[in-house]
Amino acid sequence: MTVKPTLIASLFALLVGFGIGLAYAWVILPVQSVDAQPRVLRNDFKDDFRSAIAAAYASNADLERARSRLDQLGDPDPYQALSAQAQRMLAAGEPMESVQKVALLASALQEMQPVAIEPSATETPVPLNTPEETGQPPDSETDTAETPEPTTEAEPVSTSAPAMTTTPRPSRTPTPTLGAPYQLVGEDPVCDPELEEGLLQVVVTDLSRRQIPGAEIIIVWNSGEEHIFTGLKPELGHGYADFLMTPGVAYSVRMADGGTPASELSAPDCTTTDGEPYVGGMRITFQQP
Amino acid sequence: MPRWIPIFIAALLGLALGLVYGWRIAPVQYTDITPDVLRIDYRTDYVLMVAEAYRVEEDPMLAAQRLAVFGSEPPALIAEEAYDYARQTSYPADDLSLIQELMVALQAWQPILGTNQP
Repeated sequence: MTVKPTLIASLFALLVGFGIGLAYAWVILPVQSVDAQPRVLRNDFKDDFRSAIAAAYASNADLERARSRLDQLGDPDPYQALSAQAQRMLAAGEPMESVQKVALLASALQEMQPVAIEPSATETPVPLNTPEETGQPPDSETDTAETPEPTTEAEPVSTSAPAMTTTPRPSRTPTPTLGAPYQLVGEDPVCDPELEEGLLQVVVTDLSRRQIPGAEIIIVWNSGEEHIFTGLKPELGHGYADFLMTPGVAYSVRMADGGTPASELSAPDCTTTDGEPYVGGMRITFQQP
Repeated sequence: MPRWIPIFIAALLGLALGLVYGWRIAPVQYTDITPDVLRIDYRTDYVLMVAEAYRVEEDPMLAAQRLAVFGSEPPALIAEEAYDYARQTSYPADDLSLIQELMVALQAWQPILGTNQP
């Protein structure tokens, strides 16, 4: 069987032409992104959007509207996204008021979830703070409407019309209380040789025992003071924070928003099953009434 | 017929197919975009969020900072565009009122020179 040279050359020309066309359409003059949706925003802009959603929620307490807006960002788990953002904001030293608004919205979303995350007692947390430290509208699928740059050549033009929709109406429900005083509901020595010696674990929850991220805790001892925040170790719980106590030093722990403090806390003496002494830790729980 | 004609036609056909594929069938997908290319209804909803927060915070500078995500456009103009769109698309009266309130505040607001203003 023989194939005509012209046919081979034509096929080759077809492939070359296709390649050139593809390079032109993808590299030289790709379609321009206009009329895009929030879910394709850069991550830092998504943070800006979440902050704005949280600020609006702090004003109108409309959780449905906030949820609808969060859905636009396409986060697989808006609660996790908000919690992680609150932690990033804390770490970046952003104003506490802004962090609290994001944390408040996260907490409100968590209340709609059936299971609260509790830190596992068997996990070995890595202490974050030590006394030595001085011391964070519409709802639719993603499809960027695309309109090429205007040129004299024929180019694809997308004409997708904006959705004429608005987000749900605010329902003017009562605004959640920011900064309500906390009560000390648990104060227990922890003798676990797997844990860091002198580990002070603090858990902050709301009335429904759901953990609250971004809550500020003040730890005071005779020669110093430390401020720590919940939520910086989400793997141990969004309302979890910890601190390393020095053996023999008495500490007072309270929430920055006020409430009952835990006083005269110190690292307990513990003994292993082999009779070896070691320094234990403490676990205290604050609850927002 | 000269031999080069079918080759030339094949090349043109390939070029056309490549363009159709690259522009229509599998266009470049954008991620990590900036808010200035958001669809107008999303932009308007963002302005509405800022307006909702502004009603309680009453801080035009903070509102202007939030609107700065849209670029260097004056914040009052951003609010005005959102208000126009919201009015055209029959947003609820309460929402319109919020955006209008923000728009008026930003029109009257004078950023302090020498500081980080949007």
